[in-house]
This record gives sequence, structure tokens and C-alpha cells, in this order.
Amino acid sequence: MAAFSVSSVTPWLFFFPFEKTTKMPDPKNNTPDEDDQATIGFWGEAWQRFRKRRLAMLALGFVVFMCSIAMFAPMIVGTKPIVCKYKGSIYFPCLGYYNRSWENPIFRKDRFRNKYPKNLDKKDPESWAIFPLVYQDPYRRVRDGEWQDRPGNPSGTNGVPSRLNWFGTNQQGYDVFAQMVHGTQIALSVGFVSMGIAGVVGLTIGALAGYLGGWVDVLLSRFIELVMCIPSLVLILALVAMLDNVTNFHLMAIVGCTSWTGIARLARAEFMKLKQMEFITAARALGASRWRIMFRHVLRNALAPVLVPITFGIAAAILIESGLSYLGFGASPPNPSWGTLLKSGRATIQQTWWLIVFPGTAIFLTVLAYNLIGEGLQEATDPRLRQDKH
Amino acid sequence: MQVPSSKRLRFVLLAPLVLSMVVGCSSKTENKPPPKESTTPKGESASADQQAPPKGPVVLGNMLDPFTPPPLKELLANHKWVDRPVVDSMQRMREHQAKLPPPKLSAKEALALRNDSPEKNEKILDTLGRLAPKDGKGVDFDAEITLLASGDLKSTNPLLFSSVVEADYGGLAGFGLFGFDRTFDKFASADTVVSWQTSEDRLVDKVVIRDDLTWSDGTPITAHDIAFTFRAIMTEQVIVPAVRQGTDKIRWIEAYDDQTVVFFHKESLATNDGNMNFSILPKHIYEKSIPKDPTLARSAEHTKYEDAPVVGGPYVLTKRARGQEFVLERREEYYMHEGKQVRDKPYFKTVRYKVIEDRNTALLALKSGDLDSLILIAEQWNGQTGGDDFYRHNTKASGLEWTSFHFCWNLRTPYFSDKRVRQAMSYAVDYDELLNTILYGVYQPNRGTFHPTSRMFPKNGPKPYQQDLDRAEELLDEAGWEDSDGDGIRDKMIDGRRMPFEFTLMVVNYEDRIKVATLMKECLDSIGIVCHVKPTEFTVLTERQRNHKFQAAFAGWGSGADPDTTSNIFATDAGRNYGGYSNPRVDELFDQARHEFDEEKRYALYGEIHKQMWKDQPYTWLFYRNSFYGFNKRLRGYNFSPRGPFHYGPGFSSFYMPVAAP
Repeated sequence: MAAFSVSSVTPWLFFFPFEKTTKMPDPKNNTPDEDDQATIGFWGEAWQRFRKRRLAMLALGFVVFMCSIAMFAPMIVGTKPIVCKYKGSIYFPCLGYYNRSWENPIFRKDRFRNKYPKNLDKKDPESWAIFPLVYQDPYRRVRDGEWQDRPGNPSGTNGVPSRLNWFGTNQQGYDVFAQMVHGTQIALSVGFVSMGIAGVVGLTIGALAGYLGGWVDVLLSRFIELVMCIPSLVLILALVAMLDNVTNFHLMAIVGCTSWTGIARLARAEFMKLKQMEFITAARALGASRWRIMFRHVLRNALAPVLVPITFGIAAAILIESGLSYLGFGASPPNPSWGTLLKSGRATIQQTWWLIVFPGTAIFLTVLAYNLIGEGLQEATDPRLRQDKH
Repeated sequence: MQVPSSKRLRFVLLAPLVLSMVVGCSSKTENKPPPKESTTPKGESASADQQAPPKGPVVLGNMLDPFTPPPLKELLANHKWVDRPVVDSMQRMREHQAKLPPPKLSAKEALALRNDSPEKNEKILDTLGRLAPKDGKGVDFDAEITLLASGDLKSTNPLLFSSVVEADYGGLAGFGLFGFDRTFDKFASADTVVSWQTSEDRLVDKVVIRDDLTWSDGTPITAHDIAFTFRAIMTEQVIVPAVRQGTDKIRWIEAYDDQTVVFFHKESLATNDGNMNFSILPKHIYEKSIPKDPTLARSAEHTKYEDAPVVGGPYVLTKRARGQEFVLERREEYYMHEGKQVRDKPYFKTVRYKVIEDRNTALLALKSGDLDSLILIAEQWNGQTGGDDFYRHNTKASGLEWTSFHFCWNLRTPYFSDKRVRQAMSYAVDYDELLNTILYGVYQPNRGTFHPTSRMFPKNGPKPYQQDLDRAEELLDEAGWEDSDGDGIRDKMIDGRRMPFEFTLMVVNYEDRIKVATLMKECLDSIGIVCHVKPTEFTVLTERQRNHKFQAAFAGWGSGADPDTTSNIFATDAGRNYGGYSNPRVDELFDQARHEFDEEKRYALYGEIHKQMWKDQPYTWLFYRNSFYGFNKRLRGYNFSPRGPFHYGPGFSSFYMPVAAP
């Protein structure tokens, strides 16, 4: 197993000139090489190698599964119908979970008060509705008789996992399963968005510094060092103290804006190496512009090593968000994050094991999955770590 | 015997760390720093938000108007004097218990009970709350008790007290003249006072103190110390976080001889008794040092006394490990004078306060026997103290407490200036869910600022609000908050701009508090109002409230010993009127009540105030929090007052451990 450490990615630098995708510098030269038919290119090759790693594939499958849960969370668990017909029109109230204003205001006007099942019947006997798979809510306790004759959620330390509450309930009586499913959105989006920001910023700054060199490099390198010195946790705490309504996007932005330095340094080193390569000289000789060379020819080749720290970064960002929510510095409550669940389990750890086990497992598995993917990616793209023969 | 020492242990903004653990008292003052703040390094001024003292020569008492007290003879002749009570609070409690039938259960039986019903609670208190016999037979006088300090002891100087931890310390080490019992009946303490007389016009109080009192360095305590302390408090350059409120109503304090001290009041007020109650400094220590260092904390000399204070109370500080613990030892010279016992011997040899800020850690410490007493929150009372692990070393008991929690609406914001909106807020709360689910059904629904069992509560007082979302929506519609743009959020045109009803509800970052705020968010969401819950540090919350820079806040008040303390919260522009409530009628009633000496009439006036405020709903009153305590099985003699088991007379002084404790 390769180490997870980012520093182990440096040896990549040698193999780029050999890979095929770099062989198409000029769009005018459209006639493909004979070889192109036969070879599948660097990414294809990497994918093939990645596929051979069972753990990494399993992890990838898990992440895809989580992504689909995150995307369709309100359709899996919720108290708002996925689709309903009310007073002659079709509505999709569950969209309200994504954005408050997407839930049609007619339901507020008609005083539904977020309780659909009985109100739909009462206010329009003709109505019909398709409800999510599980009738539970991540933001409130389901009360007695809300859904036919079902009893309300138990509260306190009585919320043992049951038929109605698969993963139990927390002390307030909020369903843990509902919170975990909706929390997936937070966990995954925190990872993707923050690392998306970090990737874009890091690559741009690294590319500029590495490719342009000279005083730009000196300046940007100092800037990178400066940002490295900013502790993101302190910045987050300061922001949380300042803002009245902290959302996960604030956390994502801060994590993204402080964690790009590693990526930038890697990208800079890559660009510095690659710009010396013959194919770049060739591209330059063909008259390609500086930006074209940077982003079309160099960047593609620099991307692989940078993807690995991004993958690990996603795992780190998920941990940061859970950690912050656990400490109570996350998004404003009620925030159905996995870390929040852990926090509520902490006070009653001797009674409510389900508040620790389920979110704990989810965090563990997700972070593990990203690390496995990162590792798989690393080994699939790094010739020195290849286990298959050439 | 307990000498409530910090000036007036009164209203308190229920701080998460401080007040929910030790039921609250701190003094009320307009510029009071919050009871809980971060620890201040030694040698710096006591509080970060204090302003630098005014420049200029330090002349003791320079805030006082010149006053020449008449000679004692003249004074005695010119007034008609009324004798006031001088009471040994322990004796009073003992007499009260003597009238009760003997306890139904033995201590062993009571300790075997599991406190899961009000009847059992009563039985436990009836047996274990009995005081030790007067002669102290059976009391383990070598016992040590370990209590919780919910934060660090920031200062040992009574003038710098601001939080409950300091008030607790002051209760043991401080020296004062007055106290009150569990019905808030005020008296002079027989431990320190020989006689107390008030002039018939209530403008002058004459107190004769005992001659067998000594400071812990052996110097006698005299009337001059009292007059000196008053002048020190009323010195502009001396930074006094809390105690100046109230003393500023006193015109002058004169020591006529070593034992006789006379208080001259500015006005004839029903609150004058309380104003005289402040903790006393030793004159011989501070007389020369205060002009040199009015901060009381910077000079080398003051730093020395900060850690080795000279005290007049039953206990003296012997160890102070910042952030960890502080230890007090019984002073032998407190109860012995010239070889004779002159006062009750304090029951504990050592009182240890451990600083534990986390509630769960504190509970674990209680369970393992490392703490002898701990205030419990509803969740702990209900869910975490029912098992063998708790009952192995402990038992628990609860009592009614006049501590009330509310949402404070800032009337200076466009949202809550309208009475109808505030009423709508009160109708919106799901009280059933609040009391029974979130608070485990162990607290009482709130019926306004004065507790229904208090004398201030009006006859046929208001009934608690019930959730009525239709009524809430009607009131909001009436007040002009309607969803005019169809985005699902109510809005209103204010100054030509459409303003959505979207506000921030601040709450101290305690899990149980956040739950209450989150419930409110859920309730408001269903009627088209967006409420952001903002958990924050207590210090920040208080600061924002004091500057009126908030929209709504979830907070609580403990009870003061005198109902007039409420005026500091609801009178126009009063120091703690964070929400900016103003009603001339209420102001007028407060003033009338302050000048009313007939108790019945006075309480009726407070009843009026209560009713008027219930109509105006400056707060949405939510619930009264009871006292819940875990006690080690060795402890005896605890009883509950509306301010909890500690903060009244005798309070802590009646706690003891029997010699042969199980």
C-alpha cells in the first residue's frame, strides 16, 4: 500500500512525455496517428489500472452511491410529498428541502404548516400525493398521528432504533435516519465544493507561478507561503462568530480558500518541469499562444498528480465539517450534519449508542472511501507504483 | 450564619456555564460585566470590557455629595426608631423544622429511595433536609466537601465580584451584615449584628455590630470598615463591576464608634434594606493601597491580597489553582473569641471548589464521588441519574425555583415593535412539545415575570399561553406582516422597502438551549417566518443584548430577593432592559411600589405590573426552571429556596456530614 502522504506524488514527473494525449498539440493537424487507434491514452490506461484495484472500485461505488443518496435525499426521507395534486394542479413540495422558495407558497397560504398528509385530505378530498419512502423529517420531530395513526417519535433517550425510526431518534425526537440521509448532502457537498474551489485556485496560481517563472513565481510563491500560515480553523471560528446565519457554504468557502496551497505547490512544480519538455517546445515552435500551451498542453499532464491531493482533501474537508459541527461551530442549527448527530450523542453516550454508531460509521466509511480512491488514483497514475508489468 | 456577601445577590442573566450550574445570583448593575467571561490573567484589570478608570487624584468617596452627619446624640433624639429583626437564620430554620412532624423515614431508608416521583422527592427532603442538632452532636466537623465551580474564581476581592462563582466564594469568606431567609424575609444577621433600628421615616438605619468579630489577620472588624468600604465603592476611579448599583442610593455611611454604624439614605424607599447589604473590606489593608492602585488588581500589594485575602467570614482561602480548583478552610477565630465559642462552628473543615465547565464531566465527577453536590439539567435529572451508577454514591432532590426563561424580543427592531407581533410569537410556541419533549416534563409553564407561588403574583393571574397558530397568523396579518410576494415568507413595507420577516434568535451555545430555539424556528417556519438560530458564547450574547444589537434572544432570569429588582429589567431605559420595553404605566407602578411600605399594597402593585406586562408581552415567557440537585449520600441538611439550596440563609451553612455516614 502506498502512503497517503501527498509528498509521495513527486516522482510522477518523468512519465508525461511518454503518454499519448500529449501528442495532439496542434488542432490543425487533425490526421490521427496510426498509434492513436490502438492506444487508449493516459486516462484510459489509468482507468484500466484503477479498475483492477478492487478496493478502490468498491470505494468509488460507495461514493457514487452516496452521491445518489445526497441528490435524492428529499425523495428518500421527508415529510413533504414528492409530487402531489392539489386543487387541480400538480406540485412538488419536496423541492422545499433544497430551497425554501421552491415549495409552492400555496401550501403556506392554505396553512398546511409543513404537515401534508392530513391537510391534503382535509383541504382537498380530490387530492393525491406520492410521499418519500420514509415519512420522517430531519428538521423536526414527527408528532402523534401525523401520518395516519402512527405514534410520534420518541424523545429523550428512548429513541432506540425501531421499525419507524430505523436508526433511532435523537433527544429531541428527530429521526436519525432522516438526518443522516439529508446529512449526506452536507458531507459530500462540503468535500466537492471546497476542493473544487481549492483545485481551481491552486491550479491557477500554481500554473501561473510555475509556467511564467521569474518575479511572478517569486511573488506567487510568497503568497502561497503566506496563505499556508493562515490557520483555517481560526478563520472559520472568526467567521462563525461574525455571521448571524452560518451556512455550510461559508464553511466550504473557507476550507476551499485555505487548503489550495498544497495543490498550488504541486502544480507549480509540474508546470516548471513540463515547460522544459520537448513537446512544449514543439508547441511553441508551432506558434501556440502561451495560454494555449499552459492550459491545453501542460495542464492536462499536470492534472493527474494534482487529483490525488484533491481526493484526499475531500476526505479532510468532510472531517473538518463533521469536527466543526461536533464542536458546535458548524452551520446554524438545526443542521442535520453527521457531526451534529455525534455531538448530540456525546451527552448521553451511555444510553444512546445509535447516535454515535451510525453517523460515526458514515463518517468513517466516507472518509475511508475517498482515501482509497485517492490511493487507487495515485497508484494508477504513478508508474513507479504500478504493480502490473509494462 | 451564612453571610450573603456580594452586594445584592440578585437578578441574573442565566449564564450557561455559571448560572445553570449554580443557581444564579449576581448583582444587578447597569455596567455589570457578564457573570461568565474568559479568565483574566493575574494582575490585569478584572474585566476586559471595563473602561479605564477616570484620571485624576484618587479621593475616597469622591462620587458622594458632601454631607455632615449630625452627632449621634442629636440623631437619636431627632428620630423615632423602630426595632428591626436580628435573626440567626439557622435558628429560624431550626424552629421551623421543630414544628414539623418527625421524619417518616430514617436516613438509611430515605437514601435507599429512587427519586422518581414528587412524593418520594418530598420524603427524601423531609428526612435528609433536617438540620443537625444545635450542639452539633453527630456532625463530622473534620469533613471536607467538594463543590462545583462552573468557572474560574476571577477575583477574591468582594468589590470585583461579578459572577456566581465569586458570589459562592463570597458567601463563605465574605463578611456582611444582612441576609434573608427562604421566604426572602430580610433581617440583620445575628452572627454579626447586635441591633438594627430604622427611623420611622425610613431615611436612617442604625446598626450596632458585635465586638467579637475579627479579620483573618487578627485585626478586629469595626464599624469603620463598613464606612470605609462604602466610600471605596463610591470612588470614581475604583472599577466596581457590580456592587455599586444600590449603594448609590445611600447618601452617607457614618461610623460613630467601633460598633455603631449609621446609614443615611437619599430617599425613603422600600428597597433601602437591600441597598445596605454589601460585602465589607478590611480598612487597615486597603485604606492606603486603594489610592495607589484604584483598579484593586494591578499593584504588587493588591496582587498579594488577591491570592491571600484577609477575610471576615467563616472560611478563608488557602489554595487557589487557577482553572482547576480553590480551597477554603474553616477559620477557628471566626467562631472562637478569646477562648470562648461565640458563634456556631461551621460544619465543614474544608470546602473545595473544583472548576469543571463541561456538564457531562461534572456529572461523571458526581457519580464517581469526586463532587458532593451538583446542579442537574432536566436531561440529566431525567435520563442520566436514574441508574445504579448514580445511586451508588448519590441521591437527588428537586425544589421549586423562581427562575424563569423567555424569548426576549428587541422592541427597537421593526419586527417586534408591534405588540400584536409579540403576541403572535407567544401564540406560535408549541408549549406542549417544549415542556414535555424538550424539557422532559419537569419544568412549569410560565405565567409571567413573577412566579405564581410568589406574593407578587396577582390574584387570578394570567393563564399560560397555549399554541394557537391560527390566532398567531391572524395577529401577524393584522400587524401588516403578510406574504405579499408569494415567496412563502411574510413581509411588510417598511420605509418604502419590502422587508421579509427573517430574524436571528440568539442563544447561548448549550445543547438544551439550542433545542428550545430550534423548536421556535420550527414553529415560526410553519407560519411563514424565517428564524435563524445563532448559538453564541454567553459573553457575546450579554454584550450584544446590552448594546441592543440583537433581534431576539433566549435567556432567563433568576429571582432577586426583592421584587424591585425587576424594575432594572422592565423600566424604561433601565440597565438590563435589553429589549427596550417601555410602558409609562409600568414605570409609574414601579416607582409607586418602591415608595410603598405596606407590604400587601406593595405586592398588589407588583401584581398590576405583572398583568400589564403580560398584556404587552415584551418577552415570550416560556417556563420556570426548577432546582435539580444531585447530593452525595453523606450530605445532610439541604433545603430548597426559590433561589436554590445554596443562596439564602442558612443555605450552605446548614449542609453537614454526619460522623458515621453510610
